[in-house]
Amino acid sequence: MNIRRMTELALLSSVALIIFVIELRIPNPFPIPGVKLGLANIVTVYAVFRYRSSETAMIVTVRLLLGAMFSGNPSALLYSAAGAIVCLCGMLLLRRILPEKQIWLCSVIGAMLHNIGQITAAVIIMQSFSVAAYLPILLVTGSLAGAFTGVCAQLLLNRIKR
Amino acid sequence: MKNRKILIAVAIIILVSACLSVLILRRSDKQKVEIVQDGTVLYTFDLNSTEDRAIRIYASEGGYNLVQIHNGTICISEADCPDQTCVNMGVLKSDYLPIVCLPHKLIVRFAEVES
Repeated sequence: MNIRRMTELALLSSVALIIFVIELRIPNPFPIPGVKLGLANIVTVYAVFRYRSSETAMIVTVRLLLGAMFSGNPSALLYSAAGAIVCLCGMLLLRRILPEKQIWLCSVIGAMLHNIGQITAAVIIMQSFSVAAYLPILLVTGSLAGAFTGVCAQLLLNRIKR
Repeated sequence: MKNRKILIAVAIIILVSACLSVLILRRSDKQKVEIVQDGTVLYTFDLNSTEDRAIRIYASEGGYNLVQIHNGTICISEADCPDQTCVNMGVLKSDYLPIVCLPHKLIVRFAEVES
């Protein structure tokens, strides 16, 4: 990996991290665990379509670890990591199928996979199936948030041509 | 063609979960609640007959939640976690949707009625 590439990845990670920290400051109108706008995923979606799989995974890992540290909520890391891993695998597969015009769809599915991963982790960690009741609500809100971040990423990709 | 199929599948999943969400968010008429931590039931209460009280529950890794019973409703009124989602969720209303505190692995929910 050359220096230019590495700098780009570092820059993207820090942009994602800044968005993440700013989003923490926005009060959440839906007091349901796991419901979030997930603006930092604009960077993830952008990276999925512009960088290699391993490079995207690096950006997401850095974001997750530093994000957990900065938010002062390291116990949330397990849930977000489970979601992020499932989401990333799904999106990297979808990248092969979907054309660049349907990035928003990729983002919607990614968001849903993220929620499924989160809930699976929660069921395992809490040792209770009752948390699974959150899944339908998370899927609806998640797909809305995913569509939004997807459209943002699409606009970005159109503007930043290679 | 393949893309259209994916699109339809996504739309169906969203519709189904929207319907399920409406079902899940309905108010409960049950009175028995239970407080569960780490998969074990710590307390059960009958909201009708329990006087107003507050219980402090400590998590195994440190940290606490203050569960409050007031006028036949139950809520988490205080927690020392950074996200405060369980406090913001307010009063327990739905049968299926428990109040959860993810950092402290705590669940407050309506109990199944034994027949």
